[in-house]
Amino acid sequence: MLEIRGLAKSFAPGIPLLHDVSLEVAAGEWVAIVGESGSGKSTLLNIVAGLDRPDAGEVRLDGKPIDFADDDALALWRRRHLGFVFQAFHLLPYLTVGENVALPLALLGAGTRERAERAAQRLASVGLAGLDARRPGTLSGGEMQRAAIARALAHSPRLLLADEPTGNLDEAAASVVLDCLGEAVRNAGAAALMVTHSRLAAARADRVLRLAQGRLTP
Amino acid sequence: MSTGLLLQLLRGTLRASPLRLALTLACIALGVALAGAVHTIHASALAEVDRAARALSGQAEIEIRGPRSGFDDALFARIAARPEVAAASPVLELDAALEAQGTQPRSTLRILGIDPFRAIAMQPAFVADVGAASAGRAPRLLDSKAAWLTPRAAARLGITDRGRLRVVAGTGLVELEVAGVLEGLRGGADAAVVDIAAAQALFGRVGLLSRIELRLKPGADEARWRAEIAGILPPGVTISPAASVSGRAADVTRAYRVNLDALALVALATGAFLVFSTLALQAARRRQEFALLRALGVTRRGLAGLMALEGALVGAAGAAIGILLALAGSRALLARGGADLGAGYFAGHAGAFSPDPLGLSAIAAIAIVMAVAGALRVARVVGRMPVAEALRDRSVDLPQGASTSLVVAGGLAIAGLPLLLLPPVNGLPLGGYGAIALWVAASVAAVAPICRATLARIAPEAPTAALAMAQLRHLPGHLTASIAGIVVSASLCVAMAIMVFSFRVSFEEWLRGVVGADLYVRSGEQGDTGFFTRAEQERLAALPGVRRADLIRYDRLVIGAGTSPFTLVARSIDERILLGFQVEPRGMPARPPGERVAWITEAARDLQGWSTGDRIKLPVAGRLYEARVAGVVRDYGRTWGAALVPIEDYRAATGDERVNDVALHLVPGTDSVAMQAAVRRALPEARTIAMEDAAGIVRRSLEIFDRSFAVTYALEAIAIAIGLAGVTSSFAALAWSRRREFGVLRFMGLTRREILRMLALEGAAAGALGALVGLVSGVAISAVLVHVVNRQSFHWSLTLHWPVGVVAVFLASLVGLCALAARFSGAYAVRREAILAVKDDA
Repeated sequence: MLEIRGLAKSFAPGIPLLHDVSLEVAAGEWVAIVGESGSGKSTLLNIVAGLDRPDAGEVRLDGKPIDFADDDALALWRRRHLGFVFQAFHLLPYLTVGENVALPLALLGAGTRERAERAAQRLASVGLAGLDARRPGTLSGGEMQRAAIARALAHSPRLLLADEPTGNLDEAAASVVLDCLGEAVRNAGAAALMVTHSRLAAARADRVLRLAQGRLTP
Repeated sequence: MSTGLLLQLLRGTLRASPLRLALTLACIALGVALAGAVHTIHASALAEVDRAARALSGQAEIEIRGPRSGFDDALFARIAARPEVAAASPVLELDAALEAQGTQPRSTLRILGIDPFRAIAMQPAFVADVGAASAGRAPRLLDSKAAWLTPRAAARLGITDRGRLRVVAGTGLVELEVAGVLEGLRGGADAAVVDIAAAQALFGRVGLLSRIELRLKPGADEARWRAEIAGILPPGVTISPAASVSGRAADVTRAYRVNLDALALVALATGAFLVFSTLALQAARRRQEFALLRALGVTRRGLAGLMALEGALVGAAGAAIGILLALAGSRALLARGGADLGAGYFAGHAGAFSPDPLGLSAIAAIAIVMAVAGALRVARVVGRMPVAEALRDRSVDLPQGASTSLVVAGGLAIAGLPLLLLPPVNGLPLGGYGAIALWVAASVAAVAPICRATLARIAPEAPTAALAMAQLRHLPGHLTASIAGIVVSASLCVAMAIMVFSFRVSFEEWLRGVVGADLYVRSGEQGDTGFFTRAEQERLAALPGVRRADLIRYDRLVIGAGTSPFTLVARSIDERILLGFQVEPRGMPARPPGERVAWITEAARDLQGWSTGDRIKLPVAGRLYEARVAGVVRDYGRTWGAALVPIEDYRAATGDERVNDVALHLVPGTDSVAMQAAVRRALPEARTIAMEDAAGIVRRSLEIFDRSFAVTYALEAIAIAIGLAGVTSSFAALAWSRRREFGVLRFMGLTRREILRMLALEGAAAGALGALVGLVSGVAISAVLVHVVNRQSFHWSLTLHWPVGVVAVFLASLVGLCALAARFSGAYAVRREAILAVKDDA
């Protein structure tokens, strides 16, 4: 379970971006946060991912608080517990699709065979079976995002963060990706937090919250 | 493409990456500065030698000169009496060692013995001062104890009017009173002028001259006169242009100067690779821009022209800065330390600053040509890229070149082979240089396929290492551009390390062989006015503790046209000595009664065309000394020809019983220091002799050897630094363009340290690949340096020896430095703020 309590962040004195944001996301639950550009959605995600520090408040995962003071500890925390899906996919061009998906497992020290098997299973789960040896540049946008989802869940993280996962996709591709995302989250049992400006995307989630003027409302 | 558009695009290029551009300019400038400074220093030294020689020879047009030991002065009268001769002046020239002053090292002073009444017709400045400035003192020039100094000599010695000079003559000293300074010879050499008869008497050269300076009457048929005169000249006396010493200095030093110039040009070539690398990196970033231009109608030629202009501008700007640095640097070096860069050829020359505009222009032109060539290479590849694909493409790699690199590399390597067989051109190993240039080009062409093949076989398990190798495999164009400079500088450093080590070991082995005696007693450390008489030699040989005394006499002969010096070494010769000189064929030859033999050096064999078994005629003491060549010896002491003859044969032929050195073999257990004291007691009047034991000679010689290569090592270090600058620049650019990738990896849980370790591994792998190619290329080039360049330049044969430890440490250091360069150049791109750039969906 993801717990966010009283999170606050300002970019300049007197100009708050987030103000007393609190939230709980249960395991297997998919929560969407919508808001206009500049509302602080990405900032919230960065803080939850441990890449930015809040001015106040805390974030806990399965009851354990995140220590924002220790950069290396945060990196190891992300390695073990976090999966991230980016708007621009960000598959590494010099690795095959299979190697991209297996990368989180490699970082956790899994052996070559285990990595290959689990990557193949994940790719199959998102409808990309048999594409392990392809290069990312040869896939369509929707395929790349599904591969990114497979990468984000390859190591069975406790928390999945998605930042505008359908922002670069057309409607049809977006729909496929969202289906895929939802199924994957439920199967993996991870807590999933998605930020989006698309109401259609948000509608697929289990719960939708709105971030406006620094506050989170249903 | 219109001029306006061209300028607009150029401005864009120059603003796109100002730091990298500045680094490239700096490296080109450094390369040009090095090459320009080395060239200017040598040009200044030669100009000074020429100027000094011409100042002393004045209006003389021709000189008749003989061996260092002199020729019969009776020839003067016959020459001067010829109707074609307008003026003739006899000269006795000696290098006299000065008495050591306190702890100051001994130096020499050129003594010119002249006939003042004849010399005035050639160079009025020899005596003009006497009449104009010192009325009543003119007869002093004819005073046997008076000497007049040139302004340079007076300044160096700190002596003016009424000072005293004490110079070596035989094993004693003679004192000369300085009668004044010849102000008219300002710009002339460092010399003292004395009356010729006085010089002959003081230095034991009665009846001998060094040269005759001449001027012919206007309209005289010089060619006919030369032909007639040649018939009356004794062997070893030749006709040459006046002030021929400057031409001889240029000849003797040519190979050394060109070799040092070539080494400095390596630094320039490495800088030129940086131009290629910078333009290639920019081409990668501007791939879409170039594709857009092509889509809008710019031709391939237009694009090539743009890139060539960029390269030319960078090359020209770097060359201009480099020339200014070269002029400033060489001027400062000449003022501080003179013109000697370590090898001793120009030792003692202050070297007034005399830049050579033509030479400097050539160096600048080479820089610009290299920069343009690098730009055109990139342009060729950019022109071939598929436009449609490049418009969409976001790849950060360089446009890929032809896949025939291995074929090109092989072709270049093979093309170099026949050049190795070419003979020297004007004493220069141009074929060897050509082969080296082709093999360096081959090694650069081989980088891409070798990297591909090597990286395909490396599959590390650790994630950061696996990511590093995957990244290098993904960007072959970047890898090639990054390490091309490393390959060039590493090739030449490895080659030079092997050559210098081989030389040092060969030199030391030879030295230990030829320095066979226990103690060497010299009549003077320097100069050619010192000698031991027969009586002094016998006193030394009779000392208790001396088992044997070997005698050594030197003379400098004039052979043929006399453009190249030739040394005669008359000495005690036995099988052990010949073994030390590494003679071929070995052993003492059988000699029919009355037959004379000689052993020639490798330089004599190469320059004179002699070989074992030939009968040669050496002009010694005005006669032809005939001998059979019994073998060829190694001689690392000279780059010109020499012949060793048994001293008994020399004495029988010339009657000259003097020697310059005595090599004492001591009874086992005799203390060398005690023997030196005994020598001084045996020769109480000989205050100028120098003594050194064998170990001291070897140690001192090796110190001189190491010092002579100091400039070489400095040039190599700079070439490596430039290569590393290329790696740093390339990795910094690449790291900045990969910051989104680093952001993804941070999101996935890599720590900052792990990402930097990944960059370091990429740098180390790139450095290792460059080192590997550089090692193979360097080994091949070292064989060319040893067996072709060195052989043809200096006429020395060396045995190859392998400095495995030194090369291993050098290559390991190179790899480490590349790792550090990549790690530190990427640090900025791995900061937190940069990581957040991953969220910019550009």
